[in-house]
Amino acid sequence: MEYAIETRDLTKRYKEKTAVDRLSITVPAGQLTALLGVNGAGKTTTIRMLTCLSKPDEGSAKILGHDVLAEPDAVKKLVGISTQDTAVAENLTVRENLEFMASLYLPKDRIKEAVENTIAAFGLGEFEGKKAKLLSGGWKRKLSIAMAVIGEPRVLFLDEPTLGLDVLARRQLWREIEALKKQMSIVLTTHYMEEAEALADRIYIMIDGRIAAEGTLCELEKLTGKKGLEDVFVTIAEGAGNE
Amino acid sequence: MNNRMLSFAKRNLIEMSRDALSYIFCAAFPIVMLIIMSVVNASIPKEAGMTLFRIDNLAGGIAVFGLMFVMLFTAIGVAKDRSGSFLIRLYASPMKSGDFMGGYILPMLLVALAQVIISFGVSMGIALIAGYDLRPAGLLLGAASLLPAALMFTAIGFLFGTLFNEKSAPGICSIIISLGSFVGGIWFDVEGVGGIMEKISRCLPFFYATKLIRSAIHLDFGRESFWIPLAVVTCAAAVLTVLSCFVFRRKMRADLS
Repeated sequence: MEYAIETRDLTKRYKEKTAVDRLSITVPAGQLTALLGVNGAGKTTTIRMLTCLSKPDEGSAKILGHDVLAEPDAVKKLVGISTQDTAVAENLTVRENLEFMASLYLPKDRIKEAVENTIAAFGLGEFEGKKAKLLSGGWKRKLSIAMAVIGEPRVLFLDEPTLGLDVLARRQLWREIEALKKQMSIVLTTHYMEEAEALADRIYIMIDGRIAAEGTLCELEKLTGKKGLEDVFVTIAEGAGNE
Repeated sequence: MNNRMLSFAKRNLIEMSRDALSYIFCAAFPIVMLIIMSVVNASIPKEAGMTLFRIDNLAGGIAVFGLMFVMLFTAIGVAKDRSGSFLIRLYASPMKSGDFMGGYILPMLLVALAQVIISFGVSMGIALIAGYDLRPAGLLLGAASLLPAALMFTAIGFLFGTLFNEKSAPGICSIIISLGSFVGGIWFDVEGVGGIMEKISRCLPFFYATKLIRSAIHLDFGRESFWIPLAVVTCAAAVLTVLSCFVFRRKMRADLS
């Protein structure tokens, strides 16, 4: 089986605080994996290490067999990231933002096609000539994800992609993420349990930098005896807190 | 130069070209200063023997003054990127540190060139109106001589944008603009004043940048007036470019640690 992500004892410390503590996970390719946890659980730090944005203090991590420390150039060609904050060039139009990102990953002769396809896939046609700074929060977030996808990554990291969006924009983004599942492995962090429930094939619950539980929703429900991810999550989080 | 560097340079150029403030500070303000100081010059009696604001001297001074705003906008652009998430996204892309450095510096050299063409064009107009002889060959050489100065100011902006945040970088640059134009001899004759003022000015590259451009415009190729200033400004540009790139690379590594 091909693994999108393999980590072994991955650890990151910030002075006294251990943000990620001996994290060992294997994420099969072609799945959407949700990484859940309260604020400060280590989700974003984990994503930063897996996308070469932060160096692990201990342990190892591989993306599709490439080590993040030894082969960062290879890893960077394989991953795309949409950060918590919308990361767009504000004064560039939607099309220019996409062209720019495509030019960082794709050969020149493929850029035009990739831009057209991405604009169509994300329904950005109406706004393609509009500056990013003039887009609403929802469309800006959508552009940010489109920019993460246009380089045709094999592993896509979405760090709280629907944070702050209204329910309609969130549902629309879910449909787009659902469509992306067919093309790439996705790691999603979110605070919205219904989002993970709707989209994730496999769920990891992080508490204090460690994996407290993992499995499909069914497996986690069986483990805790609760119904629904929110109750499952609360049970596991509170259980870990009481330990 | 690779595609990623050029793409990033293009992005930075577009970002700047869509900011109205960059037109005001990089083009309009130097032009306004050219016109105002030319009016001041017309008011100075000939007997005073004051030629600093005569268009053949003023053109070079204002060109250097304009480059200081290129420094300001370089610093703002870099600091703004560093404070947002966009640069984080680019750090996770296959871009290398050299792509970032070239991508920030190259477009500003183009902006500097455009600025010099505009300000020298206006200077030509003023010279025609005021009846002064401003030789096109001198202006061409002046524009070419500005290249090391443009690189020097861009490198200072790159350095400040890397070291300081979006709020403090413009403030630091404003201090350099005020001090640099003062000790650079743009607004008064540093050599005429002499003393400690001249000594301080000669310790900084701004004085040599102004002197170099003025000499080039006058087609004066003297050792003291052209070649030494050219050597000083070129060395300063090289040192500051290497230093700013070194600091950026270190900061980038620290961000990714």
